[in-house]
Amino acid sequence: MPELNVEAAQPAIKLEGICKTYQRDGQSIPVLESIGLSIPQGQFIALMGPSGSGKTTLLNLIAGIDRPTSGSVVVNGVDLTALSEGALAKWRSRSVGFIFQFYNLIPVLTAVGNVELPLMLTSLSKKQRRERALFALRTVGIADRAEHYPRQLSGGQEQRVAIARAIVTDPQILVADEPTGDLDAKSADEVLDLLQALNNQFVKTIVMVTHDPRAASRAHSQKHLEKGVLLGA
Amino acid sequence: MKWTPFVLKHLRQNWIRTASTAAGIAVCIFLFCTLQTFVASLHGSLNQGAARLITRNSVSRFYSVPNAYEDRIAAVPGVKRVAAANYFGGMRDVNKPDSEFANFAIEAENFLAMYPEYMLTEAEKKAFLGNQRGCIVGRALAQQFNWKTGDALQLTSNIYRTGKPFEFVISAIYQTDQTRYPGTNESTLFLHYKYLDEMTGRKAGVRTYRVEIASPKEAGVISHAIDDLFENSDAQTHTETEAQYRTATGMLGGNLALLLNGIGLAVMFTLLLVTANTMSMAVRERRTEIGVLKTLGFSGQLVLGLILAEGVLLGVSGAAVGLLLGRFLVDVLPVVPVIGDLVRRFPKMNVPPTIAGAGILIGMSLGLLAGLLPSVSAYRAKVTELLRQT
Repeated sequence: MPELNVEAAQPAIKLEGICKTYQRDGQSIPVLESIGLSIPQGQFIALMGPSGSGKTTLLNLIAGIDRPTSGSVVVNGVDLTALSEGALAKWRSRSVGFIFQFYNLIPVLTAVGNVELPLMLTSLSKKQRRERALFALRTVGIADRAEHYPRQLSGGQEQRVAIARAIVTDPQILVADEPTGDLDAKSADEVLDLLQALNNQFVKTIVMVTHDPRAASRAHSQKHLEKGVLLGA
Repeated sequence: MKWTPFVLKHLRQNWIRTASTAAGIAVCIFLFCTLQTFVASLHGSLNQGAARLITRNSVSRFYSVPNAYEDRIAAVPGVKRVAAANYFGGMRDVNKPDSEFANFAIEAENFLAMYPEYMLTEAEKKAFLGNQRGCIVGRALAQQFNWKTGDALQLTSNIYRTGKPFEFVISAIYQTDQTRYPGTNESTLFLHYKYLDEMTGRKAGVRTYRVEIASPKEAGVISHAIDDLFENSDAQTHTETEAQYRTATGMLGGNLALLLNGIGLAVMFTLLLVTANTMSMAVRERRTEIGVLKTLGFSGQLVLGLILAEGVLLGVSGAAVGLLLGRFLVDVLPVVPVIGDLVRRFPKMNVPPTIAGAGILIGMSLGLLAGLLPSVSAYRAKVTELLRQT
């Protein structure tokens, strides 16, 4: 995969001096140390490293579902560290799509119901929400399963629905935490094809955590974390 | 309202748990409505007859006083009229305990004058007074046994054993006005005291004298005056207000309302703990889901609101079922063996709108309180903690 040469006055994601420490039983456990990272618009980047290296923590900071102990996280010009909890939640609903390793679909909702969920936070009418959700499902190639519940779908199909849910609000940033970790090889390839298509066709900036070198090879570039430090930074 | 389907779907997710929790709340609200209706009926009954006293044998209400006392009581200053009234203990079939209902032998003319809550037309009153074997029955009692005016019936008294049944004709079905006279019993039969006295060979005696007084404020003075008349007689008397007499006659005595309210509160508190535990379990099982919702941009307040909404819906639906059950059973209870005998002695019970409304409110509050802790916990929890797979 050729390195994407993207000129952008403003990077999509900029992390400076990021440190993250957890408190456990009165002890401070450092997870990330002095992380600095700049991801241009439209880049597909893979974050790799051994278990416990801090990949998921870094991803959570970029997605705005965790806060750094120190440092700044700026995504598309918005300093996430300056936002209140409420403002951060609002930002997440519009600006980032999150894809989980274990899909995390809501079991009581159908596929289309799950995809509609982020749109419930908007002022769209019921009809508009449904149309958008079906469009997202068509984009990921699973519109024929719109009325199926998660328990009626295969792993690969569930992940497609999860991707549809992540893109339905048209966020500029997609973060994926081991999106192929629970899939067989064929389903994993399909999901990676989808992510690449979203990156190429819709210019989504994608940050993907993965253990899988084959998955990482689909990205424009790879970053390695080891014991909370970004290698080659 | 757009969140209602979302909330309902979660309630349906584990319908057994939802149904059993709602059933628990239903039982609680049913108990509340029934107990409060009973208490309201009792209060209604007790509040009647402020200007009436009851004179009985001081030893026990099961002993009689002589017929001769009536004229002397009537002569006490402040007394308007006196009427003998004996509990008859009549049964349609002595071999069937459930055939007993409240029935009294009364000196009809004076009794009806001092008890305007038992309403008859002039023609009906005349028909009753004109027939010694006549009787009047309450509307609920007539419905229970499918009686109508003119029907003949026989009753055997389990107090006055004459060897043969008493024969009656229903002269009229008395009406009541629950607005003017709340709690008036509609399940009583009244017969003539004179008929009882003749059938027992003038040995019936008088179990109670109902004494109407001119001014309720004089109740204490007149009560003492009546009892002083017979202080040195073989059959001494005890005179008290009708409210005091009914309270003492009540099954438990003492502060019945306080006891019933205490029972209701204890049940409600227990249900609150059970429902809170159920809701906590439900929320704990959905930790990851809540984490996902927050990741998608659901605010803490919205998540808190959705969980509370589940609790409130659970509470309201349980309360509605409990209320319907209460209203149904209030109508059905009088015909249930053993319990029906007790219930029929009390004035007509009907779950009033205020108690029904309070029941719904309590159900809602139970659900809200039960959902409070788990919803606050979900509100406060960090997304990363919630998403951590166990």
